[in-house]
Amino acid sequence: MTLKGGTSQACAACKYRRRKCSSKCPLAPYFLPDQPKLFQNAHKLFGVSNILKILKNLEPRQKEEAMRSIIYQSNIRDKFPVHGCWGIICQLHYQIRQAEEELHAVHSQLDMYKQYQQHQISSLTDDAPSQLELGMATPSNALSIFGHPTTPQPYNAVTTSPVTQQHSYSNSNNAGYSCGYLDSKDHLGNSWWVQHTYATTNNNNNNNTNPMAIQSQLVASQPLAIQQEVVQDYDEIHPFFDTIDDRQSYIDSKEAYESSSEESLKDTIQSIEQVAENELKSAAACFSLTSVN
Amino acid sequence: MASSSYSNPPCAACKFLRRKCLPDCIFAPYFPPEEPQKFANVHKIFGASNVSKLLNEVLPHQREDAVNSLAYEAEARMKDPVYGCVGAISVLQRQVIRLQKELDATNADLIRYACNEIPSTFGRFRMGHGGSSSATSYDQNSALYYPSPWNNDTCGDTQEKRDHGSF
Repeated sequence: MTLKGGTSQACAACKYRRRKCSSKCPLAPYFLPDQPKLFQNAHKLFGVSNILKILKNLEPRQKEEAMRSIIYQSNIRDKFPVHGCWGIICQLHYQIRQAEEELHAVHSQLDMYKQYQQHQISSLTDDAPSQLELGMATPSNALSIFGHPTTPQPYNAVTTSPVTQQHSYSNSNNAGYSCGYLDSKDHLGNSWWVQHTYATTNNNNNNNTNPMAIQSQLVASQPLAIQQEVVQDYDEIHPFFDTIDDRQSYIDSKEAYESSSEESLKDTIQSIEQVAENELKSAAACFSLTSVN
Repeated sequence: MASSSYSNPPCAACKFLRRKCLPDCIFAPYFPPEEPQKFANVHKIFGASNVSKLLNEVLPHQREDAVNSLAYEAEARMKDPVYGCVGAISVLQRQVIRLQKELDATNADLIRYACNEIPSTFGRFRMGHGGSSSATSYDQNSALYYPSPWNNDTCGDTQEKRDHGSF
């Protein structure tokens, strides 16, 4: 609907509502005429009156930010009608937890390498002639050295998931990793629906193989607790829109974050088994070279 | 309003709206009378009619999840009228990015140690894929399900799919 005698087109809101779009239309700056879907989503979730109520007591700059968040929230709800933004927050928490666990495992492995290096240096210093002759550590040292998992396999070391997982199992640092995978879901409020979310096979999520779901350790409690902690964080970050990574894809799938976590766990287990086999072989080989028998 | 002694007490929604709570009330299973604030928040932010339409659009076994997510978002918006729950998403996304960068750096250190320790075995394996592939795979898989909050193209109109680049 165009304005009579005017050159500007009615905004998407007024177009949808079949109203005259005045120059003072409060929604015109945010709902451009060529993006009707944006307004439809926002109207479907919030409604015009509720949007105006939200904007009512805000400053102009805050209004812009608020509208962006409203539009985003509405779009997410359109894509994921059941879980909306809450589902995304759960997924992010899960990803964070998984990343933290992986980081812990990698740090542990790094420490192990450093210790091995120091040990090697000290053993070379202690027994330099024999080392030079044999080109290797003393048998006892060799046994201890090659008893460490994953040492000779750089590519496994950097394929984070399998190696770190294996290291976790060997050192029992994260004894509850597999349980933690489940516990993370349990710790979330109304956890059964999160389990349902992650358990069901997603028929739309075709591109993802390893959705590393993580839950922050902060979020060991109920969703409201999660929200409170996070609210405290992001209240201090105004404005932060410019730093948001905008390179994430926007797929059409509904409930896309569901599932495939089980598949990733299976992949991880298979990789761990392969690593274990390789280590046994390498350990056996070294054993034959360094055996004192 | 005549109250039958045999009828269930009105749900929080009908209590709030001051109407008779019918047996087929769509709100009743999800807004118990013991939690009046839950519906009050949802009604204030989204409106009862919008919530009702939304619930009617999802399957019955999904309605509880939908209500709980709406209640969460409504409470978040009440606490923060500007950003609502979207602020939390932004914070968490940045945390994920930070952790991934740290993970990549640590993996790079691990590669260096591994290379220094076992130079003979280095060539037998494809190097440099673990860290980057983990980052890539992580990038490809971690945040592909939803757009960044402040991407101007997040719109059903454009339906634009964007490849997820590296962090």
